[in-house]
Amino acid sequence: MRKVALKIISSHKIYAPIKIEDLQEKRIVPNMMIRRRLTRNAKIMLYLSDKCGFKDGKVVYGSCYSEIQESVKITNAILEKSSISPTSFQNSVYNSAPSYFSLINKDKDEIITISSGLYSARDALKTAALQALVSGQRVLCVATECLNIQNIQEVNTCTKFLESGAAVVLELDNDSTNAIDIDDEGDEGVINSVQDLVKVVNMHQRGISTIFIEL
Amino acid sequence: MNSYINSYEVACSAGDIKALMNSIYEKKTAVSINTSFIEDTPLGLGQMKYDDFYDLLAEVVQKVLDNSKLENFHNTLLILGSSVGGMQESEKIFFRDKNYKNLDPRRHSIHVLSDHLVDKFSFLDSRSLSTACTSSANALLLAKRLIDVEAYENILVVGADALCYTTVCGFHYLSVLSDKPCTPFDKERGGMNVAEAIAALLIQNTKDKDSVELKGVGASSDAYHMTNPDPEAKGAIASMKAALDDASLNIDEIDYVNAHGTATVANDKVESLAIETLFNDVYVSSTKAVTGHTLGAAGAIEAVISCEVIKKGLIPPQTGLIELDNKSINVPLNSVAMDVRNVISNSFAFGGNNTSIVIGVCS
Repeated sequence: MRKVALKIISSHKIYAPIKIEDLQEKRIVPNMMIRRRLTRNAKIMLYLSDKCGFKDGKVVYGSCYSEIQESVKITNAILEKSSISPTSFQNSVYNSAPSYFSLINKDKDEIITISSGLYSARDALKTAALQALVSGQRVLCVATECLNIQNIQEVNTCTKFLESGAAVVLELDNDSTNAIDIDDEGDEGVINSVQDLVKVVNMHQRGISTIFIEL
Repeated sequence: MNSYINSYEVACSAGDIKALMNSIYEKKTAVSINTSFIEDTPLGLGQMKYDDFYDLLAEVVQKVLDNSKLENFHNTLLILGSSVGGMQESEKIFFRDKNYKNLDPRRHSIHVLSDHLVDKFSFLDSRSLSTACTSSANALLLAKRLIDVEAYENILVVGADALCYTTVCGFHYLSVLSDKPCTPFDKERGGMNVAEAIAALLIQNTKDKDSVELKGVGASSDAYHMTNPDPEAKGAIASMKAALDDASLNIDEIDYVNAHGTATVANDKVESLAIETLFNDVYVSSTKAVTGHTLGAAGAIEAVISCEVIKKGLIPPQTGLIELDNKSINVPLNSVAMDVRNVISNSFAFGGNNTSIVIGVCS
C-alpha cells in the first residue's frame, strides 16, 4: 500500500446541533438567483472553501447522505402525487455542492464526489491524496453533512450535529521527514463521515503541517 | 504502469454482454414502454428483470471473477460508482410506511452497494463515489490513476444503478423523457430513456492475451449551469482532450466515439459540436438507444461496450436514427467492420461534470 506525504496548506471546520448560522452567503455568492438555489451542503462547502482561501483547482468532496434534504422533498412530492420542483431534482445529486462551487468560482477543473458511507471523509482524503500526487497541484478536500430534515429523530442515532463540515487544502510534500499519520481523536458527536477531515483540521490547529495518507 | 481491462460483465435491459452486443449490432432496442411509474404517462424505460438487485449485483461480479485469473478479490480494491445507491429500497419502505421508522440509514446511500459486495467477496478495501451520470466513468478514472502510481495491482470497477421513482419522476418533471425508445442524434429526437444496469470491469497492472488497455482518462467541469451543458462545448472538449493527452494519442488514432448521446436536445447538440470541433470524421454512435441511459452505471457499461467493439472490430450502428441532425458528425446507420485501435467513451453529468475514457488495443 502506498503512502503519500501531504502538506496542509489551510483548514477549517464548522458544525451546529440544528443549523449553522451565518455562512456569509451574501458576501460569498453576490448573485441572488444562484444564492437562492444553493443547497445547505453547497452553502457550507462554499463557506469552508472561502475560509481555506481556495477558489480554483481540483476538488474532492465527501458526504454519506449528501443532498438528502432535496431527496426528501422529491419523495414527499411523489407520495403526495404533486409535481417535483426541477430545482430540487437538479440539486438532489451527490455532486451538487462541489458543482455550485465550480459554477460560482468558474473552476473548470476535476471534481470527484466520494460517498463511502461513514468512511466518506477518509476516502475523500485518500482520493485527494491521489489527485495531489498525479497533478502536483493543490487540492481542496471537503466533507459535509446536512441532516436537518423533518422527523430525522426517527432514524438519527449517529450524530449530535445535524449540520457539519470540514475542509483542508492539501499539496504533495516531497519531504516526508516530519509527516505523521492521522492521530487525532476528532470532535465528539460529529458524524463519522466528516470526522476524518475534522481530525486533520485539529492536527493543523495543533501545528502539524504534514500528514501521511495511504492511497 | 499500464492498466489492462482483463475481465468484464454487464446486466442491463438487453441482458448480459453477449445479448447486449447482439442487440447493438442488430439495432434492436431493449427499451420498453412503461405506464406504472407515472399514472397515464407512457415512458420509455430500460428495465431489467430481477427479484433482488443486490443478488444480481453479486452475480455480475462473480462472473467477472470467474472469467479472470484471480482466485478471489482479497487483493483487489473495489471502486463503485452509482447515482442512487440504495434509493430503490428506501423509496419502497417510505411509500409503504409513510415515515422513516423502518428505514435503515446504512442501506440508503451509495455505499450500500459496495458494502454488499465487500461482505460477499472480502475485497481488500472499497470506496464508492457518486457524480451523477459520470459516477462509474470517474470510478474508472480513479482506477487508472491508482494503478499508474502503483498503489494497487487489481481494481474492480463497478457501475450500478437501479430504477427508482426519484430519477424517473425527476427527469419527467425536467421534461426530458421520451415516451418511445430514444433516438440519439436524430433530427426528430424526443428525449431520453431512464434505465438501470450493472457493469463490472477488472482492471489490472498485468496483461492477458485478451486484454484491452485502459489508456487514458480525462475530466473537466463546465462551470456553466447545473443541468445545461456549456453551449460552446468547452467542458466536453476539455475532458476528451485530457483523456487523449493521458493516453498520448492524437485525434487520428481514435476510430470510434462511444458518445454520451442521451438524445436530449441539449446534450446531443453540445456533444456533436465537441466531436465536430475535435475530430476529423471519426465514427460516432450512442448505445443508449439500446440500453437507455443507465445513469451512474453508464460509464462502466459503455466502457465494456467499447472493449467489445475493439475485440470484434465492428463499429456499432446508430439504433433509431432516421435523419441525422448535425450532419458534420459521422454517425453510421450500419455496422462498420474495421481494425478498431482506440475508442473514446464520453460521460457527462449534472453539475457540468465531464469524464472521457480512452480504451484501446494493448500497446
